[in-house]
Amino acid sequence: MSQPAPREYQIECRMTFEPAALERVCQVVRIRGFEVTEVNASLQDTGWRIALTVRGSRSLDMLRKQLEKLHNVERVVADTTQRITQRSA
Amino acid sequence: MNGAQHILKAFQNHHIDTVFGYPGGCIMPLYDALVDAEGVEHVLCRHEQGCALAADGYARASGRLGVCIATSGPGATNLITGVANAHRDSIPMLVVTGQVPSSLIGTDAFQETDVLGMALGIVKHSYLITDANELPSVMEEAMTLAQSGRPGPVWVDIPKDLLLAEVTRPAPAPNQAVAPEAMAISAALELLYDAQRPLLYSGGGVSLAGAESAFRRLAEASGLPGVVTLKGIGNHHKADPNHLGMLGMHGSRAANEAVEACDLLFVIGARLDDRATGNLAGFAPGARVIHLDADHAEFGKLRAADVALGGDLATLLDGFTEALQARPLATQAWTEQCRRQRTLKGLQTADNEEALAPISGPGFIRQLSRITPDDAIIACDVGQHQMWVAQHYQFDHPRHHLSSGGLGTMGFGMPAAIGAQFACPGQTVINVSGDGSFMMNAQELATIRRYNLPVKLIIMDNQCLGMVRQQQELFYGNRESQIDLNDNPDFVTMARAFDIPAMRIERSDQIRRGIETILALDGPMLLHVAIAREENVWPIVKPGASNRDMLDASQQRQHPTTSKEITA
Repeated sequence: MSQPAPREYQIECRMTFEPAALERVCQVVRIRGFEVTEVNASLQDTGWRIALTVRGSRSLDMLRKQLEKLHNVERVVADTTQRITQRSA
Repeated sequence: MNGAQHILKAFQNHHIDTVFGYPGGCIMPLYDALVDAEGVEHVLCRHEQGCALAADGYARASGRLGVCIATSGPGATNLITGVANAHRDSIPMLVVTGQVPSSLIGTDAFQETDVLGMALGIVKHSYLITDANELPSVMEEAMTLAQSGRPGPVWVDIPKDLLLAEVTRPAPAPNQAVAPEAMAISAALELLYDAQRPLLYSGGGVSLAGAESAFRRLAEASGLPGVVTLKGIGNHHKADPNHLGMLGMHGSRAANEAVEACDLLFVIGARLDDRATGNLAGFAPGARVIHLDADHAEFGKLRAADVALGGDLATLLDGFTEALQARPLATQAWTEQCRRQRTLKGLQTADNEEALAPISGPGFIRQLSRITPDDAIIACDVGQHQMWVAQHYQFDHPRHHLSSGGLGTMGFGMPAAIGAQFACPGQTVINVSGDGSFMMNAQELATIRRYNLPVKLIIMDNQCLGMVRQQQELFYGNRESQIDLNDNPDFVTMARAFDIPAMRIERSDQIRRGIETILALDGPMLLHVAIAREENVWPIVKPGASNRDMLDASQQRQHPTTSKEITA
């Protein structure tokens, strides 16, 4: 079965503060078959705001649900506007 | 009260009376506090992996939280396999480790490892304590989290200085149970009533949710045929005529064919694991899917569900049962068809009939199943013997079958049996192992002896890594590679060196006496069972193939089996 073309998505995670927050998010993204192409994370008064651009062939909804399982995640917003990406050789 | 004392107080508050651990440098303050603690029995295993797997077995057998403790560095790294095992099978576990003092973290100190980073992918959650006053809330949260929703291991890593520091913040009140989600089931019922050939497909989530009785009520009210995953074995009453057995790679032909033929798959507490489904493209190709699970992330992960319902399984199942009792399904013809297939294509293996014949693996397990008490707990290792137990032992409750499903951890069985025996001291606990698996945690014989646990140990010894050998034979042109174990130690002598009685059997007429002897002894005993090297597990689906392409003994390509008993 051929893999669908990889697509790029925007994801934003809001997490309560804890030291390993960023690592946890990146670990889930990687193990669930996506790669991070851009990250913008900041610790705010209310906790972490982690904005990611990720690329992958698998279901974005699957990734969103796995991120939501992280204990410190309060909210995940996944941008449904997908772009088919071309990987450079 | 210092941090270490607070941890033990938290155990007491949560009625945790048994923990499995191994001391060392950075966890010593906790072990010092343990000297004065009341109501907490510490079980000293002989390797941290044994601690974690014993805590896992304790939790599987009892449904309670399993707790393991170790020191920093190698203590923590040795826990990893056991914690990953619990994570893959959603076992509630609390892991407590000592860490190097706060001021030394990040200096490559003696016995320092980044436990938090190392364990990220194998825990439900983890904490590195940075202030002793975090301990009250973290311990409370960790114990609750490990057991709520989809259970799993939660790891608390505590620097040594914080184990010694004063805790001034009081413990929060225990969390209240969260009411299950109220979910509409009408859409799912509509699918059920529309279906001509609905099939129950249940997994380990049933017992994890404490929904065993609710599942059986549904099975009875629906009258539907059912298949189970490895971890769902025991969900159906063992006398349930509609139970078609385990599906998947080593499942029954009746179960796999029913999945292929059904037009509605009613998935209950299962995650559609690849060992169960085979190639997804050929799995239940014409079926719509109702999926019930505590974990929303399982919905649509591998197979889209037409209706997915999350929340408390028992509540959900009772909702279906009530509706089906009021308006029964009209699927008797399908159920009758499946029952006939069960008779024709279920797992049937004759016992060894000739007294002097070598012992067949399936035949031995069937006799074991007949002789042991109904509430016996069987802790398997991983390999051919594990599949023979899954296929041929008749379980009447899912908590009686302890098997490493997701991770497939060789060496799981003996420590899991130790944990189960502590959890269920009045029940017969048997570890069925292979010669390869047994050697992976053989040091735990010392734990069995130390606590005089009446665990019965059975080694099915074919002097090789049988499952690997089988796949090399069938799928790698019979090119055997690094599977030979014909230099195994004398297991009888080995057990006796630990002051554990042992005996060996090698002929069919010795099976009954061997089993009865180990069961009769008031204490631990090892039974060394010699089986043929070339015996295979049948049926088998080639990894990556569709379940419809099952191979059985008659299709063995390289060497016809020498066992006359296999007729599956």
